[in-house]
Amino acid sequence: MKGFWAKTVSLAAIVCILFQYNAVLKGRKREDSLARLAAQTEALEHYIQRAQQAAPEESGESGADGIYADGEYEGQAQGFGGEIFLEVKIENGKIADAKITSAEKEDPAYLQMASAMLPAMVKAQSADVDTVTGATFSSEGIQKAAAQALKKAEK
Amino acid sequence: MKKRKNKIYARIRAAIQLFYFLFFSSAYTAAFGGVKYIAAQLGAGEEIQWTAFVAALAGLCGFTIVFGRFFCGFACAFGSLGDGLYASFQWLCKKCKKKPAKLSVRLCEGLSTVKYLVLAGIAVLSFLGIYPRLRGISPWDVFSMVRAGNFRLEGYAPAAALLALIFAGMCVQERFFCRFLCPMGAVFSMLPVLPVFALHRSRENCKKGCSGCTRKCPSHVELPEDGSWETAGDCFQCQKCIGACPRENIHCGWKELRGNEALFTLVRAGALAGVLIWIS
Repeated sequence: MKGFWAKTVSLAAIVCILFQYNAVLKGRKREDSLARLAAQTEALEHYIQRAQQAAPEESGESGADGIYADGEYEGQAQGFGGEIFLEVKIENGKIADAKITSAEKEDPAYLQMASAMLPAMVKAQSADVDTVTGATFSSEGIQKAAAQALKKAEK
Repeated sequence: MKKRKNKIYARIRAAIQLFYFLFFSSAYTAAFGGVKYIAAQLGAGEEIQWTAFVAALAGLCGFTIVFGRFFCGFACAFGSLGDGLYASFQWLCKKCKKKPAKLSVRLCEGLSTVKYLVLAGIAVLSFLGIYPRLRGISPWDVFSMVRAGNFRLEGYAPAAALLALIFAGMCVQERFFCRFLCPMGAVFSMLPVLPVFALHRSRENCKKGCSGCTRKCPSHVELPEDGSWETAGDCFQCQKCIGACPRENIHCGWKELRGNEALFTLVRAGALAGVLIWIS
């Protein structure tokens, strides 16, 4: 009986600690984003003030021309068990979407883990994002396939 | 009669093992991936998210708390591989009329603690962020690559050598890997297992000096007494002891169940498949 309860209490303690850890991190993240938001607002106010004082300058980004040509591009690379096929969509010269079109021999759990890299690539506008720990093969496959597709997309 | 029954149980077990080997072979590595992931996130100060690996870890731990290490005995691809190798090696020795080599019981007891060191070592390396850079030494990588039909093993020589050593151990000692080295087994054996479905024995009815169940057990487990809340952490639920006992003294904590009824085994196998499908 003693052993059983000792194990139960330890397990409960570990689970509680992990949840608490996550809660603390979430709280910190919220504080961080609040602070960043405040800083941005301040900077914006400053900018508006200056814009009102000075003559209206020629503004705006030249925008829509990244280094990529619009369209959909395919890439493929060796993953864990076989080839991973991937499609990258370029809109307005930017990476708008990246998705896996086929990866028959990949394990679903690993592929799902590694797929977290796709939104990261869109965000970073590059194939060069961190690989997923524990799903190295699938991750590297996705990375290489995306790099290949982006190479094709270059102007 | 009893021998025939035991044979049927062994066949059912082999069939279930084959099924899981073919269709759910990555459950073990995915669950252990959860352990590595949690350690890595803690080390990096990042949030722990509910990923497929964490789900696999939680699912298998939950199942084990209720049913004991049924997963290890019936569903783990590495465990089944070990059983296959051991059975083939023993059969081969019999054919050649050679006595198979054996590890002494005392050595086995000492080696059983190594799995905790393996678990602690990998957890610390993941926490420090070193583990992902140690590619080429993980024998599981090689095993799962080969199983997936990927034979491009350049740079994996140390891991392949380790795997070969483990295979040799599997031939000599039943459940060599599970009992001595498996880090997931270390996690499972530290979990609190409910006594309802875990195996117990009525020791007072035993023949004097009989240790048939312990000798038949791949882990040399001395089962806890009836009514005890203790459970054997190294019991893989292989059910061999149940058939080995001449007086049928072994049964689940809930005494109406012996623990090796075909229907009960299938129910557990089904429940496990449910858990594995739910998490994937």
